[in-house]
Order: sequence, then C-alpha cells, then structure tokens
Amino acid sequence: MTGLHWLTAAEAAEAIRGRKLSPVELTHALLDRIERLDTKLHVFIRLDRDAALESAKAAEAEITAGRPRGPLHGVPVGIKDIIDVAGLPTTCHSKILIDNIAAADAVCVSRLRAAGAIVLGKLSTHEFAIGGPSFDLPWPPARNPWNTAHHPGGSSSGSGSGVAAGLFPVALGSDTGGSVRNPASACGIVGSKPTYGLVSRRGVFPLSFTLDHVGPLTRTVSDNALMLDAIAGHDPLDAGSAAVPPGHYAAGLERGVRGLRIGFIRHFHETDLPADPEVAAGLENVAATLHKLGADIRDIRLPTLGEFGAVNRVILQSEAWAIHAPWLRERPGDYGQLARRRLLGGAFISAGDYVQASRRRLEMIAAVEDALREVDVLLCASAMDPPSRIEDAAETERTYPRQARTPFNVTGHPALAMMAGLSSAGLPLSVQFVARYFAEGMLFQVARAWERAAGTDEKHPRID
Amino acid sequence: MDKAIIELLARRAGLERALKEFPEDVTSAAEQASGWVAKMQAPREPHAEPWPPMKPGTGL
Repeated sequence: MTGLHWLTAAEAAEAIRGRKLSPVELTHALLDRIERLDTKLHVFIRLDRDAALESAKAAEAEITAGRPRGPLHGVPVGIKDIIDVAGLPTTCHSKILIDNIAAADAVCVSRLRAAGAIVLGKLSTHEFAIGGPSFDLPWPPARNPWNTAHHPGGSSSGSGSGVAAGLFPVALGSDTGGSVRNPASACGIVGSKPTYGLVSRRGVFPLSFTLDHVGPLTRTVSDNALMLDAIAGHDPLDAGSAAVPPGHYAAGLERGVRGLRIGFIRHFHETDLPADPEVAAGLENVAATLHKLGADIRDIRLPTLGEFGAVNRVILQSEAWAIHAPWLRERPGDYGQLARRRLLGGAFISAGDYVQASRRRLEMIAAVEDALREVDVLLCASAMDPPSRIEDAAETERTYPRQARTPFNVTGHPALAMMAGLSSAGLPLSVQFVARYFAEGMLFQVARAWERAAGTDEKHPRID
Repeated sequence: MDKAIIELLARRAGLERALKEFPEDVTSAAEQASGWVAKMQAPREPHAEPWPPMKPGTGL
C-alpha cells in the first residue's frame, strides 16, 4: 500500500484485520517518516523505535493467529509526555523530571494497548502542560506542520503537530484550559475534551485536579470517536472518575444535523474577544453550512470569556501551586521562564479567592446547563487568531489567551475543536462544538456533519 | 500589587530563592494572579456553594 502515513486509524485497523496491511509495514513506514521530518517538527521527546517494532511484530502474530485485540489492533499512537508509559521517562518536557521513569502505564495507555494500539513514544508538551512554546527547556518546542515558522498550539503540541503531519494517525493529550483543543485548532485536526471524569487521569501528571481532562487528537471525527471508545470508562482508583456506561461513540456519526438545535455563542468572538476577521468568517460559514443541512441555529448568551478565564485561572493556579510549591521553593531555576511565571501565581491567591472561584464555578455550570436545555449543541470559537510565529514571543503571549476553550474546563462539559477552513496565509482556522454531559455521541454527530460537508479530513499540510 | 506586599507574600510562601534569582518572574506572577482575582465576580448569595461539593459515601 502507498501513502500509509495518511491512513486514518479506522482505515489502518480495517486493513490490518483484513490482512491487507501488516502492522510491521505500517510501523516501519511511520518510523521512516518520523526520522525524515522530526528534525523540523520536534514532535518527539522520546521515540521508542525498538519497543514499537516489537509490539508491531506481536500484533502481526496475533492477527495471523486470528486473535485481534480490539478496534485499534496494530495502530501506532503517540503519547503526550505528561502521561505515563511503563519503562519510559515522563519528563513533562521539564528539567525538573528529566530522570522520572514511569513504573506503569497510565490507565488511558493500558486501555489503548488493550484495544491493540502500538505506542511509538512520548511527545512534546508545553512544560508541565502550562508553559508555552519555550526555547529554554531541555528539548525544543514542537512546530506547526502547516508552516514550521509557526507554533502548533499547546500544551499537547507534539500530539497536534505529529497527527497533522502524518507521523501517527492518533495521539493522546490532556486539556486543563484547552490543551487538546488548542493544538487541534492550530494544526487543523480534531481534538476532543470529553466530559470531566469520563477518561481516567490515573498515571497522568496533574496540573489542576478539578480541571484536568485526557482526550484524543486525530485527523478525523470517526477516529476521535474510536479513540474515546477505547479510553473511556470508570476507574475506581481515580477520585474524579464518573461511573457511567460505555458510550459507543462512533455509532451515530452519520445521523446528520437535520432538526437539531444548535446554539451559536457569537458574543465570545464578536465582543468578548473580537476575533480575526477570517476566524469570524469561518465560524459564520460553519453555522450557515449546518443550517443548510437542516439545523436550527439560535443565538445563545453565556457569562463572558473574561469571567470564565478568571475562574479557570484562579482554580488552576491554586491547584497547580499545591503540586509545584516544593520545587518552586527549592529549584525555581530548573523551570523554563514561562512555566515558572505561570506556576508562581498560585502563591499569591488566597484560600478565600479559591473558594470564591469554586462558588462562581457552580453558577457558570448552571448557565451552560440552562443553555443546553434550549439547544442540543453549542457552537463557538476555539482560537480567535490563526497560530502566530513561534519565535514572536510577544505575539504568542498576546494571542494564546484569546480563546474560548477554558469555559468548558470550568464546567466539565464535553467539547471538540476542529478545522473550520484555512486562512489566506494557509494556516488552519477552527471551530468548537460543546454538548451536554456524557453526550459525546451528539458532539461527534455534529462535528462529522461539518467534516463531511467541508471535507476538512482531506486537508493535509504539505510537509514532505 | 505593591512591591513590598509581593515580597512579603513571596517570603511567606517560602519563595526566597525565587525572589533572589528571578525577582521579575515573581512580580509578574503576583500581578497576573491579582489581575485574575480582580476579574472574578464572586457570588453574593450566602448559600452559594462551591463546586465540586463534599459528597460523603461517593469516594474511593
């Protein structure tokens, strides 16, 4: 087979099941592509070539023996380097944890292995999932395959860049203030943050206990649903884990949007944080397309992005301070500057401020729940700007907070960001969909309708 | 936020080393945190509860 690097996970798994493709051939093809391109993209912190090939050979033997493990049998995956993979370092892209070897797989990784996936290695992140594109860390920051002079979003930066560049079809990331959806937006792929508690966080280095989510990054909506099917499920040893039955998230993908009520949160990008005109036009195009497909589009109002952002940051910085205080006291010089500045903030937030943010949080949850009683799905911006040049620190600092992702970390609702089109400069534009708690199937249904209408799954960067 | 208050709070938090080696980062972090707190609209209703709630019997 040719063009193996653009196969989706679903296509690869089907070809492997049908013995039309060998997992070893696929893994070799991706390892060769990684070797050729990763000097430009800096996606990997640790490529585990030998273990990946061993796993691929085992997967091939299992298929030959008629014992497929699951729906991702033989499919290579990348893992953000805040998520434990047994025997590999979990560095969080930081000097602080440079020698930290994971004793066991995180629950989400062991579930991927149980579904048959092959772990390729550990991927770049913003330091501790909070810094930003930084040049003062032990490894360089990942770059955007659509234009390597630009950042790929973050904090799951290697996950986004690698999936978009065809280094692997699917990856895991984490999302505390938008860190799956940001790289999905910047790299023109699909990134989802499931309902809080749907995917176990055990074995994932925490940033903020009540805001952290694990989620998949993929090139298609169908692959995103496939990944969520594999990693979702109750974990009795994760205190925040939700005891809900499995979702079968890929089951209703092709149902379309006819008759669905979609709430468009225009004030996010029109008045709260006025978006780049191309971003705004892209959002209007998504809404108009879904309307043409039969959806009823209504305006919805929520609290402002300024308020959501403040509550997110007060909670995040307080909880992150509780984790990082010992290292910030003893080893402040071992952090990069961006992470150090952000993590130190928690030292200046009082216990009372944290409780007030948690009380305001409940009001915000009520506001989103009220909105989702009027409509089936919410549509809004993800990023207000196309990704900036990675070495323009001032522009990155200006544009990074101009986003509408943090509200749904505050409330825990499932949210998905994906490509809305391309800018005149050839950089991805994005849209975000939000659904009711545990209604990821509805989220994928709407996202798939947009994907099918716009052909976003056929758009790849010319990185070769 | 006043510089003397920032230094006092930083020392109380045990950040002497950061204050000495990265004073601008400490100041920047304090000012940013103060800005976030100022932007929050705390509930005035006394019965407004924080989230997540205490739920006995549902833990590990």
